[in-house]
Amino acid sequence: MEQKSVVLQTKTIQTNKRLKRVKEYKQQIPLFIMVIPCMILTFIFCYYPLSGWIMAFQNFRPAKGYWHSKFVGFDQFTFMFNDPVFWRTFKNTIGMSIMNLVFGFVFAIGFALLLNEIRSIGFKRVVQTASYLPHFLSWVIVCSLISNILSTYDGTLNNLLMGLGLIDKPVLWLGEQKYFWWIVAFSHVWKEVGWNSIIYIAAMSSIDTELYEACEIDGGNRYRKMWHVTLPGIRPTIVVLLIMNLGWLLNAGFEVQYLFGRGLVMDVSETIDIYVLKYGITLGNYSLGTAAGIFKSVISIALVSISNYISGKLDENSVF
Amino acid sequence: MKKFKKVLAAILASSVVLSFAACGSKDNSSGATTSSQTSTSTAAATTSATAEKDPETGLPMMADRNNPITFKVFLRDPGQAPSKDNPVLKKITELTGVTMEFEFLVGDLQQKIGVMLAGGDYPDVVFGEGAKFVDAGAAIPIEDKILNYPNLKRHYEKFMDKMKAGFGDGHAYTIENYNAYENDPPIFQNGGAGFFMQKAVIEESGYKIPKTVDEYFQMIEDYKAKHPDIDGVKTIGFEVLSDGWRDFCLRNPAMHLLGSGNEGDVIVDQNSFTASLYQITDTAKAWYKKLNDEYHKGIIEAETFTQNYDQYIARLSSGAVLGTFDQYWNFQKADDTLKAAKKFNRTYIAVPIANPGVKDNFIDPPAAITGTGGLLITKNCKNVDRLLAYYDYLLNREVQDYLAWGVEGKDWVKVGTNGRKLTDERRDIMRDTAKKREMTGDTLWQYTPKMQGMYDDGTPCDPGASKEEYMAALSEYDQNFLKALNVEFPAGILSEPVKRADYYPVWSFPIEDGSPAKVANTRFIDVCRKYDPQLILAKPADYDALWDKFVKEVEAANPQPYLDEVNRQIKEKMDAAKK
Repeated sequence: MEQKSVVLQTKTIQTNKRLKRVKEYKQQIPLFIMVIPCMILTFIFCYYPLSGWIMAFQNFRPAKGYWHSKFVGFDQFTFMFNDPVFWRTFKNTIGMSIMNLVFGFVFAIGFALLLNEIRSIGFKRVVQTASYLPHFLSWVIVCSLISNILSTYDGTLNNLLMGLGLIDKPVLWLGEQKYFWWIVAFSHVWKEVGWNSIIYIAAMSSIDTELYEACEIDGGNRYRKMWHVTLPGIRPTIVVLLIMNLGWLLNAGFEVQYLFGRGLVMDVSETIDIYVLKYGITLGNYSLGTAAGIFKSVISIALVSISNYISGKLDENSVF
Repeated sequence: MKKFKKVLAAILASSVVLSFAACGSKDNSSGATTSSQTSTSTAAATTSATAEKDPETGLPMMADRNNPITFKVFLRDPGQAPSKDNPVLKKITELTGVTMEFEFLVGDLQQKIGVMLAGGDYPDVVFGEGAKFVDAGAAIPIEDKILNYPNLKRHYEKFMDKMKAGFGDGHAYTIENYNAYENDPPIFQNGGAGFFMQKAVIEESGYKIPKTVDEYFQMIEDYKAKHPDIDGVKTIGFEVLSDGWRDFCLRNPAMHLLGSGNEGDVIVDQNSFTASLYQITDTAKAWYKKLNDEYHKGIIEAETFTQNYDQYIARLSSGAVLGTFDQYWNFQKADDTLKAAKKFNRTYIAVPIANPGVKDNFIDPPAAITGTGGLLITKNCKNVDRLLAYYDYLLNREVQDYLAWGVEGKDWVKVGTNGRKLTDERRDIMRDTAKKREMTGDTLWQYTPKMQGMYDDGTPCDPGASKEEYMAALSEYDQNFLKALNVEFPAGILSEPVKRADYYPVWSFPIEDGSPAKVANTRFIDVCRKYDPQLILAKPADYDALWDKFVKEVEAANPQPYLDEVNRQIKEKMDAAKK
């Protein structure tokens, strides 16, 4: 008897809960309607294009289209994974990306820290503006500037080094494999350091000034303040940006490598993006290009998930 | 204004309906009788159209000129489209109702076309990389269609076999807008591949013409030693352009040293008609060794391997570069700049360099139609008949004269009975790229079917074929230069062109995308791209070892599928020509 009433009770509770949920849904109908356009847009622009991935499992010919191209299973992937050129581009991508990431972070944070210490507001503003202006230049312009600077034919850098007596003959910077990744990394630093530091400067401005006062009372000098107040203050920002950037690890950039990639440095300059362009678009092997693109996406998703998990463990600072 | 828009909309709508109707009727005409009927009717329409004359220019007018239509044309060349105010193009549109909208190339051609094909989004007409469009099923066969139009028929009938053999499926897809000569024009200078040398170097050596690689570089070395600077800029002995697809300057010289015409990535034995790689021959080894020596002597700057095309053109335009291996059209900009700056002694002339005992073979005889280059009408074309009728109209001799020469008296004058030359004003316009684009019909003339060479009566079809014009345009320096060399034209120091075999040239062969042949081609060319500069920059002691490594890598890249495909196509084209 008692048991029965308990069952009944739980049942009523469940139905009540359900009713409540339905009611909630009903109340939120206008919100759902408002979300629909965004969902449609997301579908059209983010999910619908993924249908093109089917190409990777076909021997796609534009003349035949998706419907009549021959399915070849994982042949494209097999070819790709057995292709030494692909693994070379993979290695280059990871290598340049890590260098970009490390240098990008170190220089942006360092720059923000230094700028934060400047007392004269006017000077600070001028420096900040001047430093982020290159961000708005196209890579084509930046690359031709850099190639002029690095030129063996009256180039600034060679002239400088020769003037200082450090080298006796101009160095062909852009033609030596061992310099290529460094040139790419420093081009990125030059172009993006000001821009990347903006977010850190913003984060620094929100640090409570009392902390600095407290540090001063404890006898901390400027370096102490940087180390014990400013840096911990922007730590959440750094971690979030790091997570977001790790997802882009396979995007080592494309323009610089493309613009500087000549025969002499081909082995170290070609990235996965250039591989996709070369085999997919230029040689008309769309299937292979798509396969390489899929591979890149899968790795990127895995990287984001892993870094998010790690940072969640470390610090409660995960993004999602 | 509103009313005008409505009228315009009505016209547009009706033209769309009309074009749909035209398409519909075309689809229905499956039988041979119906198609021949349509052909006679269109031919009749064009002849009746040419009856009326424009009072201002005396040019014929088309019947449907009041029914405007715009065709979009994609061009493989970088450049700039003429503005809507161009008087010549405006006039032609007025007389025909047809507007051509030219889209010039920006960026990389292969990529642009790859994207076009992947998206199925192509314009009415395409000029460049026809094979890719044919392969993707995006092209319309035209061999039957163009014979329905009197001028097109007259102009192309004699080339039809070659046009049909181009893509290997028996259909002609491209209307060749270059090199379809009426009668062969005179050859004034080498407009293609060659070893070019600054005229000042030849002048200084007492008008000696170099014949071998050693002589060529010796003259450059001597000149550079005497003139370390030219107009305040450090002298550069020799340039090797290595930027992107233009790196034929780096890869091709050995082919020409062996006495071959410009085939592309192989040489072809002219007896057995089999292709082989010249990149790994002893000639190539000796050539790169020579460049290696010259690099260590300071004649070649290492920079040449990292600079881009624009930087290369800037170097040449400075007048400080003594020699280059290139194709003339590729650096013509620089040569023109030098001419405009009146530095005539800094302009270039092609010299007959080949292996000792081998006859140089740089100049192609005229009328080298490839069967694969030209205007390709795509499946997206709005109205094929209208387009062909327009092309047919342009091939009227009066219209050709109007586009290529301009107006008699104002733009050109008669010399003798059939000779012609431009007026000084017109010549100045033609020398200025912007003025040429905005004030003449040059762009339209370039990218539509045209008469080239000489008419049957000996009149040059365009200024480029006119001997009188060539002589009139020569600077005093050049006149004296040629006199000192004892030749009439710069081409006189090169060997006479020899007739090419029917397959020529290999570079025009369509290689199917994604096929093993294509992959093989890309792979071994990439190896050359990588090793050729290294060979030049290597320490002399390491050269032989590096060369052996290079040859091994080329073999490892397995070029055989490419060679097989080339041999197959040579045979196919030779057989087709025999029939």
